[in-house]
Amino acid sequence: MKSRYFAWLWTVLILFAPAASEAVDINIGAFSDLGGATSDAGKEYAMGVAEAIHYINDAGGINGRTVKLFQLDYGYRIPEVLVKYSLLKQKKCVAILGWGPGDTEALAPAIAGDKLPYVSAYYAAHLCDPGKSPYNLFIATDYSTQARGLVTAWFDKKWPAKPDFGKRKPRIACAYMTASPFTSASIKAAKDQATLLGFDIGADQDVSLFAIDTQSRIAALKEFKPDVVLHTNTVMSVAAALRDSDALELGADHLIISSGFTENLVQQAGKAAEGAMGCAPWAFFGQNVKLMDKVEAYAKKYNPGISPENRTIHTVQAWANVLGLAEALKRADKAGDLSGQGILKKGFETMRDFEIGLGMAPVSFSASDHRPQSKAGIYEIRDGKFAPLDEVDLKSRWPEKWKREWLGW
Amino acid sequence: MTHCNMTTRNCVLILIALGFLAGCAAMAAKPTDQNFKAPAVTLDSMEVAHYWGWWYYAKAVPPTKGTAGNNGAPLDLAFIFAIENPNPFPVMLESLKFTVAFEDFDLNALSSTDIQWIPPGKTNQVRVHAMFDGEQSRLKLMLVDAVKLKEKDIDAMTQIEKWWTGISQGAFPVSVKEGAAVFKADSLVKVSTFKAAWPR
Repeated sequence: MKSRYFAWLWTVLILFAPAASEAVDINIGAFSDLGGATSDAGKEYAMGVAEAIHYINDAGGINGRTVKLFQLDYGYRIPEVLVKYSLLKQKKCVAILGWGPGDTEALAPAIAGDKLPYVSAYYAAHLCDPGKSPYNLFIATDYSTQARGLVTAWFDKKWPAKPDFGKRKPRIACAYMTASPFTSASIKAAKDQATLLGFDIGADQDVSLFAIDTQSRIAALKEFKPDVVLHTNTVMSVAAALRDSDALELGADHLIISSGFTENLVQQAGKAAEGAMGCAPWAFFGQNVKLMDKVEAYAKKYNPGISPENRTIHTVQAWANVLGLAEALKRADKAGDLSGQGILKKGFETMRDFEIGLGMAPVSFSASDHRPQSKAGIYEIRDGKFAPLDEVDLKSRWPEKWKREWLGW
Repeated sequence: MTHCNMTTRNCVLILIALGFLAGCAAMAAKPTDQNFKAPAVTLDSMEVAHYWGWWYYAKAVPPTKGTAGNNGAPLDLAFIFAIENPNPFPVMLESLKFTVAFEDFDLNALSSTDIQWIPPGKTNQVRVHAMFDGEQSRLKLMLVDAVKLKEKDIDAMTQIEKWWTGISQGAFPVSVKEGAAVFKADSLVKVSTFKAAWPR
């Protein structure tokens, strides 16, 4: 009789208990700046992260498992991000989507110790050396490869059309906030590339990230008479430099890495932005590339109060990191190892020429090289729009230097 | 009646009761894409939740304790929203986010991911705290809005001080904009948009 009692009880439990075989969520952390110094871009990047995670889950998650996102604003306060990192560890997040230089640099020692993959929107080349920061990752062209690509594309495409071509060396100068590690990150590589191609290099011009008047810097540049100026600041001060260059008739072309090359540059610099060349590892919002229909659809679905005209490349930038991390998670999960080390070794480092979409060059990682892309996508601003100009493959053009010299700086 | 028979009878009764409850649940309105209406989100009020006044210490000033740094007074505002569920079934608020602007300067973006259920035909309240950091707000103005400040002929520090000291009197307009609240019923999703100005 006792066995019949248990049979009934078992039937009741089976009928009404939740399915024991339900897949367990995968927890992912994210840091955002929604109210701090970088919140202008940070807010949109955060929206892009959340929208892309919705897309990943709607498309089947990570091999059937739902991603649960713990997205935390740290207001660009470094003490706060250190505290909130502990919170994400308590939530058992298997990876973190970071934001900018502040959180990425501050947390680098901790994530290396904890072996926790940290995929952020800070693309300094020193993060690409697995010997130094194996768990810092990103899905983009690193700043140094961007700068090398820009200098090369200008040399190939613009210099031959200049009146002085063949008569003298081209002249380049760099305009950036010299005290900032973020804006200085790619300068050494840019100058190295300029030297390789035979440029004369002028004195650096110290342009503050907060500058809206750069006339004294542009006036100083006029003495050197550069053919081209490389900018590595963010949008507001780059726009000021372009406006002042135009007003003071500097007569140089302008090269801008991705941190300053967004839709807002055209808005702020106006006609002075015409002809400026920039590196964009991803397509601009709304451009006709693979997966952009999803980017637009999820932006419209989850943030219908923001018009598509006000969405920018920062959304696409976020999608790239989310899609790259999701691919690594799928591979690691298939290999049965979602530990931080598993996500790195069995996920990221198994990617070879992986096609993300979003107008990006293919992405590769290996155990000895975390530079995701060797191809720099170069655009030119024409009639206020971003027109593709060139794609410079540094690895195929300088294979020995790419392999033996350029990693990590 | 033996003990075993009684046990069997009790189990049957339990099964019948559970079946009845499940039947009742099935009779309630089921959400569909057609009948699921987006709940209405409105700003009920805004409060200064915690207040430190206005001060700013540059990192050149040695602190009595702790580490020197550029620090501005925080400001904690609370935004209280009414969430009205017009549906004949409960809906779940999954997330709510919005941007806050002082005058026409976007200064903060807030997000609440605390899940709550809203009963059919009822109105819930959601309180979202917005912590404004004096120093980070100043830097944001300098890094992004410097041209607008110049047009207004005011520097970032003075502007922040005016806002921090004038907030309790409603001395300037505070806007809630780009609001989006994500609701779920079963597997269906609806997103409500909202915006508001304070003082009204």
